[in-house]
Amino acid sequence: MSRARIAPFPALLIAFVVGAGLISPAASQTASAPTPKSGGVLNMMLREDLSQGFAIHETSTISTVWPAMPCFNNLVLFDPLKKTESVETIIGELAEKWSWQDNFRNLVFFLRKNVKWHDGQPFTSKDVKFTFDMLREAPDAPAKLRINPRKDWYANIEAIEAADPHTAVFRLKKPQPSLLLMLASGYTPIYAAHVPPATYRTACVGTGPFKVKEWRKGEFIEMVRNPDYFVKGRPYLDGLKYFVIVERGTRQAAIQAGKLDASFPGETTKTAAEQLKKAVPQLVITPFSQNVSDNIIMNVKKPPFDNPKVRLAVSHAIDRRALIQAVHQGGAVVGAASAPKPLGFWGLSEKDLMGLPGYAARPADEKALAKKLMGEVGFSPEKPLRVEIVTRAIAVYVDMASFVINELKQIGIDASLKQIETAQWHAMATRGDYQIGANLTGIGPDDPDANLYENYACGSPRNYSQYCSEEVMKMIDAQSQELDPKKRLTLNYAIQRKLEADAARPILDWKLDYFTVWPHVKNLIPHQSIYNFGRMQEVWSDK
Amino acid sequence: MAVRPTAIAVPVGRASRDGLVAAVVRFARKKPLGAAGGVLMLVMLVTAVFADVLQTHDPIATNAAYTLGAPNAEHWLGTDHLGRDIYSRIVHGARVSLVVGVASTLLGSVLGGIIGLLSGYVGGKSDLVTQRVLDILQGLPLLVLALVMSAALGPAVHNVIIAISIPIVPRAARVIRASVLSIREMQYVEAARALGVRHVRIAFRHILPNTIGPFIVLCTAQLGSAILVEATLSFLTLGVPEPYPSWGRMLSVSAAEYAQKAPHLVLFPGVAISLVVFGSNLLGDALRDTLDPRLRGS
Repeated sequence: MSRARIAPFPALLIAFVVGAGLISPAASQTASAPTPKSGGVLNMMLREDLSQGFAIHETSTISTVWPAMPCFNNLVLFDPLKKTESVETIIGELAEKWSWQDNFRNLVFFLRKNVKWHDGQPFTSKDVKFTFDMLREAPDAPAKLRINPRKDWYANIEAIEAADPHTAVFRLKKPQPSLLLMLASGYTPIYAAHVPPATYRTACVGTGPFKVKEWRKGEFIEMVRNPDYFVKGRPYLDGLKYFVIVERGTRQAAIQAGKLDASFPGETTKTAAEQLKKAVPQLVITPFSQNVSDNIIMNVKKPPFDNPKVRLAVSHAIDRRALIQAVHQGGAVVGAASAPKPLGFWGLSEKDLMGLPGYAARPADEKALAKKLMGEVGFSPEKPLRVEIVTRAIAVYVDMASFVINELKQIGIDASLKQIETAQWHAMATRGDYQIGANLTGIGPDDPDANLYENYACGSPRNYSQYCSEEVMKMIDAQSQELDPKKRLTLNYAIQRKLEADAARPILDWKLDYFTVWPHVKNLIPHQSIYNFGRMQEVWSDK
Repeated sequence: MAVRPTAIAVPVGRASRDGLVAAVVRFARKKPLGAAGGVLMLVMLVTAVFADVLQTHDPIATNAAYTLGAPNAEHWLGTDHLGRDIYSRIVHGARVSLVVGVASTLLGSVLGGIIGLLSGYVGGKSDLVTQRVLDILQGLPLLVLALVMSAALGPAVHNVIIAISIPIVPRAARVIRASVLSIREMQYVEAARALGVRHVRIAFRHILPNTIGPFIVLCTAQLGSAILVEATLSFLTLGVPEPYPSWGRMLSVSAAEYAQKAPHLVLFPGVAISLVVFGSNLLGDALRDTLDPRLRGS
């Protein structure tokens, strides 16, 4: 594939995390572990219960993807044993082989035979067609999702053809090499055609390495090994148990005490990691890019954020570097719409961000500019604009929102905080039923198509700000079809500058996670995105 | 020689003020622990009222340069994980705790008091039904009921007040009803009935004022519980929302995760909660002993 990652990327990432001072020698040993052993149960944590059950296609949160992934398979997946994700690290799951044809207009998948769903039914190309017709909301789709957050990932698919039971062809409207990367994300499992999609909200019929044995709401999810799994000798583990522990400190105490074997992706802060390492030196802590940004969503369809001056004032007001220090204790980096190097490939570097709202060398200058903009619309710290800022009722969200409220207060925006449970959050944001929000946006693969179509395309359910620019749409389409990696990168830089200049969704930082496991946990290797390494097929326990 | 009237005149209110001071001194001598509790509550009241004056920093202002900072000359009790001044947050947290504690106690006690008054005075089947309903409500612990209410209503100050006040209602109703049952049989009440005074007037004019003693004791006793429940709800993120300071939430945010690195994060809010609940209980116990005729002199 011509659009491969540049070679220095993995080296840069490793240098970055080693520099963070937390990487353990054991972390690098994990990938080259000794001969795997079978057996054992891994005890894992969840930060909240599953608001949409196992219905990955109806959610956009790691809270669902992490515990649901072991039940499913994709057509293709990022190699669980490789830390860096790129088109070169994609391996087949339900597809044995695949082939691009007609200059990236047709993608042909040759499917595995003798694959069975957890209920014993055979897997065929009908299931593939069913899944993607449902996702792209084809006129003749046999099923419809209640909420379809990543609909725009598949907007370029013109038709899915099930040529025979073991061949599926994706016909595209225009060339889109990135489609394969989106198909390799944990967000893209194949659903069973014979199972109504609503079933996945309470149960899971997949083809994956583990079957759901019991889901006791608010307490735990128990999974057991799938004895009929199509990869012989996998999974290694007999089972998985995910315990719901809402309180962050309690989760940390549980892993420190050895009650749990691994942390929850995206939930271990730098300070927490330092404390864990000090308390239990043998814990294996791996800093890695979450592919998740902190950002501000402002509803451009509702006052007062329909006024570009107010949106720009907000963007100018927030001191990104101070936020990274205060909220993440240095465990994040500044960036625009895509994760910057070394965490990602496509993002603007700190140098490139200079001159964009919020990135002046002196934060006081930014605050002064923000105050001036607010003054122009009739507000000041003495006569503040009162708004309600929404965020999810999860500690990492609330910390960020608390910081933002203080920043806004200084420029004449008096914000009160409203915490929303996950079950309501995505529906509320999709409806645009809010003024301003402190949000985290995670992106499946580190790829502009996945990010831009999902979060900035006109009409996309995940475009929470409802920002819509014809100019930006043309640029997004152009970069999607661009086969020259350098030209595509340049186009992406221009898009990101435009988005920040328009305060479409001001990005505050890109976060690192300090993923923590006990040394006996092998092959559970964090990738450069939290959404793609939860399959657990290769994980084993050396206990 | 006649004494000039001005020399001996007592200004209006002076006698009652002197009487109040004397009563307080008498109370402090007889119940030194209760007085100590009263002092703690007074300190909390003053802190809450003058929080804006007593603060050294804006309680929601973050400081990236000094997160998890140890106590020093600028930040007397250190800073939290966002660099916010813990002393200023505790000072403002007193306001939240007091407002929520007093408002929920008064709301629950007044509502429960009225139900107890009417139930006890009317008697009969309505009393029977009311008491069974109260039995059900009282069967649920204060915290559990408050948790359910708070989860249903969502985290906001007014919702927390409602959530905490509802479990207080049956307790208040029981106490007031018990007083009413004995008062309504007294001769002056019978006399009022014989004179044809309306029931509502008898209940609210002749019986209610005589339940004020138990009512005060009840309120003082519930205040500590209400403050503790508020702290618990906030600890469980169901109380007063961030970034406004609440003692319980200060414990919740910092507990366990940062406690090892910065123990002052949990120490100072914990001490504040303990002192206020302790003070409220001491004062409540002493007032009960003083105002309850059965315990007077014990």
